[in-house]
Amino acid sequence: MGIESKVEAYKKMLSLFPNAQEKYQYLIEQAKDNTNFPEELRNDNFKVSGCQSQVWLIPEEKDEKVYFMSDSDALIAKGLVTLIASIYSDETPEDIVNSKIDLMEEFELGVILSPARRNGAFNMLKMIKDYATKLKSD
Amino acid sequence: MKEFENIKKDFPIFTREVNSKKLTYLDSGATAQKPQSVIDAMNNVYMNTNANVHRGTYVLSAETTQLYEGVRNKCKRFLNAFHSDEIIFTKGATEGFNFLANSISKKFLKPGDEILLTEIEHHANIIPWQMVAKQHQLEIQYITVNDDFSVDMDDLKNKVSNKTKIVSITGESNLSGLLPDIKTIRNIVKENSDALFILDGAQLVPHRKVDVQELGIDFVVFSGHKLLGPTGIGVVWGKLDLLNELDPVSGGGDMIEEVYFDRATWAPVPHKFEAGTPPYVEAIGLGAAIDYLENITMEKVSDHSDKLRAYAQNIFSDLDRVNVIHTNEEFAGCTFSMHVDGIHATDISLMLDTYGVAVRAGHHCVQPFHRKLGIDATFRATGYIYNDENDLDVFKDALVSSIEMLG
Repeated sequence: MGIESKVEAYKKMLSLFPNAQEKYQYLIEQAKDNTNFPEELRNDNFKVSGCQSQVWLIPEEKDEKVYFMSDSDALIAKGLVTLIASIYSDETPEDIVNSKIDLMEEFELGVILSPARRNGAFNMLKMIKDYATKLKSD
Repeated sequence: MKEFENIKKDFPIFTREVNSKKLTYLDSGATAQKPQSVIDAMNNVYMNTNANVHRGTYVLSAETTQLYEGVRNKCKRFLNAFHSDEIIFTKGATEGFNFLANSISKKFLKPGDEILLTEIEHHANIIPWQMVAKQHQLEIQYITVNDDFSVDMDDLKNKVSNKTKIVSITGESNLSGLLPDIKTIRNIVKENSDALFILDGAQLVPHRKVDVQELGIDFVVFSGHKLLGPTGIGVVWGKLDLLNELDPVSGGGDMIEEVYFDRATWAPVPHKFEAGTPPYVEAIGLGAAIDYLENITMEKVSDHSDKLRAYAQNIFSDLDRVNVIHTNEEFAGCTFSMHVDGIHATDISLMLDTYGVAVRAGHHCVQPFHRKLGIDATFRATGYIYNDENDLDVFKDALVSSIEMLG
């Protein structure tokens, strides 16, 4: 499944929830299922700057594809980064770099990552693309 | 709270919904909502009289100048200042502190002099002092805050000495609602030093009558947006003889008397401190905000805050799992910071938002004190004149449900 179809699928899923509360509950469930983040990687090197809660994102390359592990100390933010990590995981660096989708606009969930500094969500997407760009040129 | 029951109607924002719920706004400690009269006053300038203030020899400029300078008189009355020239407009409380720190340290301080703050100061009353301390080799001391969030008066007595040249203290904590006993602190300071006494009025001035003559202080700093006025305007009040001695820290238009190619002389106080086109529309908005509060009377404003605070203290006392950071003193502001073991403050505030409840999550610009308490972040509910018991009930119920959902 490509990036765009994953975004579409999540959008469809999120639209099933009639209000913000139930959307957040869905994200909390995603967060609770995401348990494999290694404690030793919860450090500043992998922290996404500008988010109100602490958010970590770790890229990994396997068989010419990119995978992301994610974590946050806040549940709702963690749920959202879990979705974002899954959208960009199992994709080639090219596809990530070429993707033009503005996730925050698509999901209308910018409020979760952005309040501390408006660039929280932007920084995370930039980190994903920077990593893909680096892999592509290597 | 009878006389307050119609106040919400004066604030257009309360007609909107958030997440399909009625707005319950409990973040006035960050910024207050604006009554229609403030919005109208600013609209009126743009629609009917707008022209740059001072020296415009035509009707519009004269009218705008009159409105703008008239706000100095309102501020003078509001603070019971000695003279309207003691009112300096800034872009906010933060700029006020930066101005005072820079101007005072250049004029009055020498290496080794001490600045005395408390552990619960807002960053705006810490960082400017840290910056000038580095520049002029000054020392900063922090008065300890007790476990019940009150100021440790013994520590104050230990730390104030003839080396202390500046004491700058909040009038109302934006974290715990504490109202430090300014008069007693001021007396201890003045008996043991010749320090200048600066009051951070950012939280206090919107809620209580601040009479600078009665308090016997040297400077007070506050912002307009927390007292129903617009952003981009703040006030520094200082004693005239001190202001006359201080030099400006910004240069430019409007603050000069005579300019030559190699030098310039300054306009008299207060204009020498106000370089460039001032935020005159915002100042006029601030004037309308002061009118609005004075029309209610500050006595009733503080009574309302006390009643809200007592009600909140009562209903928050039996909240399961919630640690409340709030002073036990008899008088305090309606400001309650909280944290829940095992749940991040931003999760709580996001969840509260789904109930239409607006509270702030974070360190509220009091990071060193959060660090001392060993907490990353808190969420904070603050009440103001347009809040009532129902808002606090809605907050409490939403909080209980949010905690349940977040596990």
